[in-house]
Amino acid sequence: MDDDLPTDFQVIVVGTGMVESIVAAAASRIGKNVLHLDSSDHYGGLWASYNFDGLQKFISEVQSNPKRQWQVYNLKEKWYIEKETPQTDVEKGEENKTETDDKANPPKIWSQAAFTFEYRKFNIDLTPKLLFSRGPLVELLISSNIARYAEFRCVTRVLTWLEDHLVPVPCSRADVFATEAVSVVEKRMLMKMLTNIVGYNEDEMNNEFKDWHDKTFKEYLTHKGLTPNLIHYVLFAIAGGTNKMPCLEGVKECKKFLMSLGRYGNTPFLWPMYGSGELPQCFCRLCAVFGGVYCLNRPIDKVEAKTLDEGRNVIAIASKSKTLNCDHLVIGINECPKELLSPEPIESSDISKAVFITNGSILKSEKEPLTLLRFPPLADDDNAVTVLEVGPATGSCPKGLFVVYMISNKEKDAESDLMPYAEKIFEMSDNGGQDAEKPKCLWSLFYNVHDTSAPTSSILDNVHVCSGPDAQLDFDRAVEQAEQIFKKICPGEEFLPRAPDPEEIVFDEDVTHGPDFCGEAEDDAPQE
Amino acid sequence: MEDYKFLFKVVLVGNAGVGKTCLVRRFTQGLFPPGQGATIGVDFMIKTVEVDGEKVKLQIWDTAGQERFRSITQSYYRSAHALILVYDISCQPTFDCLPDWLREIEEYANNKVLRILVGNKTDREDREIPRHIGDDFAQRHGMYFLETSAKEAENVERLFMEIAVELMEQAKCKELPKYDGSLGPINGKTTSVSDSSCCLRS
Repeated sequence: MDDDLPTDFQVIVVGTGMVESIVAAAASRIGKNVLHLDSSDHYGGLWASYNFDGLQKFISEVQSNPKRQWQVYNLKEKWYIEKETPQTDVEKGEENKTETDDKANPPKIWSQAAFTFEYRKFNIDLTPKLLFSRGPLVELLISSNIARYAEFRCVTRVLTWLEDHLVPVPCSRADVFATEAVSVVEKRMLMKMLTNIVGYNEDEMNNEFKDWHDKTFKEYLTHKGLTPNLIHYVLFAIAGGTNKMPCLEGVKECKKFLMSLGRYGNTPFLWPMYGSGELPQCFCRLCAVFGGVYCLNRPIDKVEAKTLDEGRNVIAIASKSKTLNCDHLVIGINECPKELLSPEPIESSDISKAVFITNGSILKSEKEPLTLLRFPPLADDDNAVTVLEVGPATGSCPKGLFVVYMISNKEKDAESDLMPYAEKIFEMSDNGGQDAEKPKCLWSLFYNVHDTSAPTSSILDNVHVCSGPDAQLDFDRAVEQAEQIFKKICPGEEFLPRAPDPEEIVFDEDVTHGPDFCGEAEDDAPQE
Repeated sequence: MEDYKFLFKVVLVGNAGVGKTCLVRRFTQGLFPPGQGATIGVDFMIKTVEVDGEKVKLQIWDTAGQERFRSITQSYYRSAHALILVYDISCQPTFDCLPDWLREIEEYANNKVLRILVGNKTDREDREIPRHIGDDFAQRHGMYFLETSAKEAENVERLFMEIAVELMEQAKCKELPKYDGSLGPINGKTTSVSDSSCCLRS
């Protein structure tokens, strides 16, 4: 089948990570002839979601392939449950259970075999990220009409760690006024300060912040007379910072948070159903709809600049037995031959990550929660830790379980960096240990990811290198970089204009060249 | 808001060239496109049909050509209510690939998805797959079976109508969540979140 692969394209994209996929969609959308390849048999690269079986394959691949250890290392998987469920438990057909059974039955005793049995119900992300409701990715998904390929859920609560406990952070104006944790005087101070932050504008620095360039955000909050608890909420939970966070950075983070409130739910965040790994695929789908050619399982061997007989300068890619030519090559940094990269950028901090599967939420609630917890550093020199907890309603795991992600900048190694935080919120001992308050950790995975998020350039013109995932909470940098690369390839063209709805597609009598679109007409009018 | 009671997502898979797009176009537009080319620009098509006096909207998704090199995104299979697996009765290799397709379906589609095996191109005189072979295969794998001709409009209407009827029945007895008309919460408007998934509300 591979032999059918055409060999001449305007744009070839190698790797199906977030940045690569957005560029592929944008180029195809405005009519470029695009080929999109990935060396593996699935989409997403380091941005992928895996079911439990796929994740096991990923783990053994990383452990056996030194090439992958350049990207992912210090990988440690651990089980906290038995291989098989004890015989005394009568196994029930999980699939056919009705929902009403749930409450009557005692909690299920999970075994490794039960995970294997239900492997398809897991969707575990290598790069879990949230979307700010008014952030650039949400705006792009709406304006391009790519939102129709995905479903989202609202993050239901933001938590913080305060005085050795998990506490909810009041997010919305209503929350702030309703909460009893904050006095009336504090509320007025807080609202005044938040109003100042919303008024912050980078370009025309207003008086409020002009003297705060070289000071910390904490100093600013203290200066504003906020009480220690309020400082904690704003600095750690809303800005996601540490004591050292520069003031203007904190202001920017807070503003982003505040501006995204009130659009979809009670918090400023959305989470993609079935995981973040769905999102690159949505862009790939759009690329394909507009004629992009897709080929997974297609490694590339060599990349070089070449001049063809007719004098056209191309990038030539050797792949299997073929040479593929293109005007522009867009390539993920992990797929790019090292000799093509410009000298490595300055050393940056790698990322420490962990995934836990637990038998309950870190903080019980009436309805299934979807939680963002921003852990303040437990020790002075630590980094802040981002924790995301997703449940069965997001399509991440079977009923009765939760998947919890931890992300931080690397200090020592993933396990040493994150274990102290895990122990605060989970029961981490093997088998025994009955802490009624905390959910039990059933399975854990720690790993470090080489930080490839800094923009990197290539020594060849017309080869555009896409960064890997960063440690940030959102996708903003990926969207920004994709747009920059697109503008280089297609100067003056619109970035992902709205794709038509099916009702707007008008077919010609003879359709060999594909349909025309009537874009603007009757935009939102009902069709029938 | 449009006037329909149920919305179902139907997805088509199968090798390139078996006539997936032709089946969709025949059903939704009543025509048989003469073009030979791969599918460009077609995302999904919509047709509202009536079952027992109730309006049912079928959203029929095509592969966008990603099947050509076996590179369909997992997300394509997500939240499909029915899945039509198509082969060409005059082309043995398209039938031989069915187990590969089933493996992919097992992996990514909901296990409750309604599955239909379709042998297309009954208008062709050079049949290679006898009807009973297709029927056997379908029975062994718990699928409905139908032979169609998109060109002659044979069984195409029936295929989609039976899907609509079956899904309706399932929806009624299992109280499947009804569609509320908004495609996910991301539509630029402010939304409140219900308990169920964002685009399906019980």
